[in-house]
Amino acid sequence: MKSVATIILNRNLPKVTENLYERLQASDGDVSDLYVVESGSAKENLSKYSSYWANWPEALETGLRYPRGFNYGLSELLKEGKFANYEYYFLVCNDCVFPDGPVVGTLLDEMKKHPRLGVLSPCGENWGERQLFGDKSIKYFWHINHLAWLMRRSFIDQVRAKEKPDHMNFLYDGNNFRGYESDVEVIVKGYANDFAAGITNRLLVREDDELLKSRHKEMKTDDYESNRLSLLQEGREWLRSKYGFNSRWTMQMYAKFFYDKYFEFYPEEQPFKI
Amino acid sequence: MIRTRLERIHKERRCTFLGVGPMSKNCVDSVLELANEHRVPIMLIASRRQIEMEDFGGGYVNGWSTERFAQYVIERDKRGMVVLARDHGGPWQNTFEVEQQLSFRTAMESAKKSYEADIRAGFEIIHIDPSIDIFGVPTTAEVLDRVFELYEFCYETAAKYRKNIRIEVGTEEQESGTQDLQVFRDVLVRLYQYCDRKKLPRPLFVVAQTGTKVMEDRNVGTFDSPLRLPEQLPVEIQLPRTLAVCGEFDVWLKEHNTDYLSDEALSWHPKLGIHAANVAPEFGLVESRSFVRTARDMGCNDLAEAFLKISYENKKWKKWMLEDTKATQEDKAIIGGHYVFNDARFIEVKNQLAKKLSSKNLDLDEVLKSDVKKSIARYLKLFNLVGPSI
Repeated sequence: MKSVATIILNRNLPKVTENLYERLQASDGDVSDLYVVESGSAKENLSKYSSYWANWPEALETGLRYPRGFNYGLSELLKEGKFANYEYYFLVCNDCVFPDGPVVGTLLDEMKKHPRLGVLSPCGENWGERQLFGDKSIKYFWHINHLAWLMRRSFIDQVRAKEKPDHMNFLYDGNNFRGYESDVEVIVKGYANDFAAGITNRLLVREDDELLKSRHKEMKTDDYESNRLSLLQEGREWLRSKYGFNSRWTMQMYAKFFYDKYFEFYPEEQPFKI
Repeated sequence: MIRTRLERIHKERRCTFLGVGPMSKNCVDSVLELANEHRVPIMLIASRRQIEMEDFGGGYVNGWSTERFAQYVIERDKRGMVVLARDHGGPWQNTFEVEQQLSFRTAMESAKKSYEADIRAGFEIIHIDPSIDIFGVPTTAEVLDRVFELYEFCYETAAKYRKNIRIEVGTEEQESGTQDLQVFRDVLVRLYQYCDRKKLPRPLFVVAQTGTKVMEDRNVGTFDSPLRLPEQLPVEIQLPRTLAVCGEFDVWLKEHNTDYLSDEALSWHPKLGIHAANVAPEFGLVESRSFVRTARDMGCNDLAEAFLKISYENKKWKKWMLEDTKATQEDKAIIGGHYVFNDARFIEVKNQLAKKLSSKNLDLDEVLKSDVKKSIARYLKLFNLVGPSI
């Protein structure tokens, strides 16, 4: 039995998704089962590896984006009774590019060394965080963008929706459609429940922005700039309505509060504090 | 003295102190009026290009020398609310030291003369910034040696003239880059060891990278960027860490290049614990825009165009331009406008507009000052230095 389920999100870019699927299958097929969530793809754009197809009208019209997309994949696995079969979930967007070599295996190896880690992300190739590792291969953060996260199931179980879990609520709050600051919200839930979130420099990831910039029509999604503006606007509205926060800074300081508390409870984890 | 005073205010209200670049006489007058009307300390942070000692020919702002500038401010600062501060003092921080390719030792002596004039004239906060070296990038150790030499010189000079000063130290050029906290910490350790050994007061302010960078008419750093910028550490991570180091060393953080930040970003300065922040070119730009708008409103397009032409041809805007700039010729002229406020041709243009306004019982400088004051007031409010009703 494999301990990891990898969920890849596809939105009308079957070839891109298949390349990632095959790349991960080759490098990590021994440790992970792979699932592809069709995040509102048109029928003709389904990947040949498609596992779950969000094909209700709204999904086809607007896609699911990462919060609803991963929620959908996880809730389908739960429905099929497979959710508890895996100890870890690798939730990855199809525009992620990794260097050669194992991806899931590398993250898993690091995750196993840190039993309190709920989320582990590879470090972005162009992230300033790369400067913070010193002699460590992992550091804990309160702010990590979700491109490719390995998550511990026991953490997901702790914070997931228990009643009627679906694409709107399983892990992420689907009301924040594009997910601005939603990743921070999940990290806060982690620290509040004694699970840390980390980045490792043992694995790098690059988000292929060019896909959205040059192929947004094919993807049936907004262009790069419109998406950016909507991401921020919707995110701000969500922060205001859900938390009463008028600024991303409030969310960040809220997250940092739980982050700092975590290290008070677990002083032995101090070496991983930034 | 100055630290005690600022600390007392800081204890009363969680605020960020404001440093204003003296971009023009109107800007200086605006600071004098706001500081005295609201009984709030404001630092006037003069670079050596703006204000320089008489022997070196003065600066580009109103033709003021250090001595005359200080006298002007001190005489009008009825309640003693304005703090005279030197911004970026040090070798090669004045144009002539660069143009004449002064050697290291000569540039250091030149910087010391300038500091001496500052201290004698009544400057209370002295920024020591030896990060510039026209002959190559100095190592951190070299920069620190220069800091120590200038630090000791400033305190000896202050003792000689019986003046109270406090020091601000910055050892890196201000960019939007990520602060290497290990280097920052090492610099503070060595600086404190030096101060303690020499029995000198520790610095009041240190300058660190806080994700601010001014280009054109905006802040292009990470501070106001809600999304990640390539190769940059998100400011949400960087800033609390930097402030934590300042807390460990009991030194205040002074942010540079704070211009053009949004209200949201500014309002977080006191909450985050940023002790002070400098703003300069924004106020020059506000006055330039105000001049052009006023001229056009008065139907004096020729005067607006004349100002824009003088400024554009002066080319001082060049250093503020982004590589892929989309700025128009007028934008560029506005960005570099304050550099020509003391140009005889502009003074002639300004006099003509002033005459036009006075025929309608309006005072041009009052109009310009009103806009600059509004712009400064935004910072005072958001930095929690004054109430919201200002």
